[in-house]
Amino acid sequence: MAPDSRAPEEPAILITAFLSQLAVSGVAVLVIVALAAAARLSRSTPPLNEAAARALLADDYPDAPIDRVWLAGDGDAALARSGARALYLFRLGDAWVARDLAWTEAAAAPVRDGRLHLSLSGVSPRLARPALAGWAPETM
Amino acid sequence: MLEAPFDPVKLAIPFFILAILLEIGLGRLRLARAEYEARDTLTSLAMGLLRGVPALLTAGLVFAATVWAWEHRIFTVPFTAWWGWVAIFFLDDLIYYVFHRLSHERRFWWAAHVNHHSSQHYNLSTALRQTWTGSLVGTWLLWLPLAFLGFSPAQILIQQGISLVYQFWIHTEAVGRMPAWFEAVFNTPSHHRVHHARNPRYLDRNYAGILIIWDKMFGTFQAEMDAERPRYGLIRNLGSFNILTVAFHEWIAIGRDLASARSLREVVGYLLGPPGWSPDGSRDTSESLRARWAARQSAAHTPAE
Repeated sequence: MAPDSRAPEEPAILITAFLSQLAVSGVAVLVIVALAAAARLSRSTPPLNEAAARALLADDYPDAPIDRVWLAGDGDAALARSGARALYLFRLGDAWVARDLAWTEAAAAPVRDGRLHLSLSGVSPRLARPALAGWAPETM
Repeated sequence: MLEAPFDPVKLAIPFFILAILLEIGLGRLRLARAEYEARDTLTSLAMGLLRGVPALLTAGLVFAATVWAWEHRIFTVPFTAWWGWVAIFFLDDLIYYVFHRLSHERRFWWAAHVNHHSSQHYNLSTALRQTWTGSLVGTWLLWLPLAFLGFSPAQILIQQGISLVYQFWIHTEAVGRMPAWFEAVFNTPSHHRVHHARNPRYLDRNYAGILIIWDKMFGTFQAEMDAERPRYGLIRNLGSFNILTVAFHEWIAIGRDLASARSLREVVGYLLGPPGWSPDGSRDTSESLRARWAARQSAAHTPAE
């Protein structure tokens, strides 16, 4: 085969090879994820209680004394007041994620259908909707 | 030599897969420590799987620049010379240390690297949570001096691949400590667990690629303490498994900060300051977190009068 007649085929061959490799790797990824799920190797993250919420928030905010904690009914989230700040903790998979915002913003956040609508800083998530038991910021 | 006769990373892909399966199996049988969360694993592997797509955008430029530098080389290092491989092993690893330190200590480069640290898990799948924007931030320029020195583009690519493959196996909790002589010289799972930890004591430590000696030489080494188990992830962890969020969240945050910047100083600070820099110092940086941690430690060990 003459070089000039072969050259135009090369990009197509490369792209086909790349896509084939991508597809095979994609299948491998799905198999690994399925096995990881089946192996049940995730961490134990029982529903939050007040002591657990305080301990987890202390990891992220070690200098923030916590005045009070409200727990979500399902134990998947907690909101705490620390002076002028509100500290919010929520579950992500088998781990916990913390965010902070001004207490005044948390206290003024609307409650709809029993859920607090909190605007969070950061890229994701922008909004949290915990159903906090006994949420009464006006008492603080 | 321009084109590498083999790619260590491609050759190692079956090993990557088998090693992850082995880690999962050992974890399941409780023969080794291994924690996996399916969505976290999917995110990590998808990041690794798709990293090649954005890298294609700059592959031609990087290769052309490396070839150009090699065509203007000072010496010629023969591809088959053993001493050339010894030399590039050390030089590449030193460059990796510089690259890695820059990628943690300056926000512009951190934005490209942060995704690798965004998992709260530390297992072999975490190793594959690779950057999508790393090739766009110009750190490949750090390797150009090797081509000027006379190492061929193929030799540079192969050594970079060897380094990447080496660093795969150290992303695990299944291995405790290696023999003391090995821990003293090489980067190990123990050393790299420290690097991925967000405990203040461990922040911005152990930047090594293959050899831990660079951290010891440049004052960034921290041994893993039995009394302080690493907590993995970011200072403020991501609240999502979305791979687009993982890949781009820090770039979005930079964009927001730049939009609010009121002076050139703030623009430079937001881009080139340490991650967490803010004009009024109200945000946390690794340095401020470490300082407050040190103060707490000091207070805890000071007897009350």
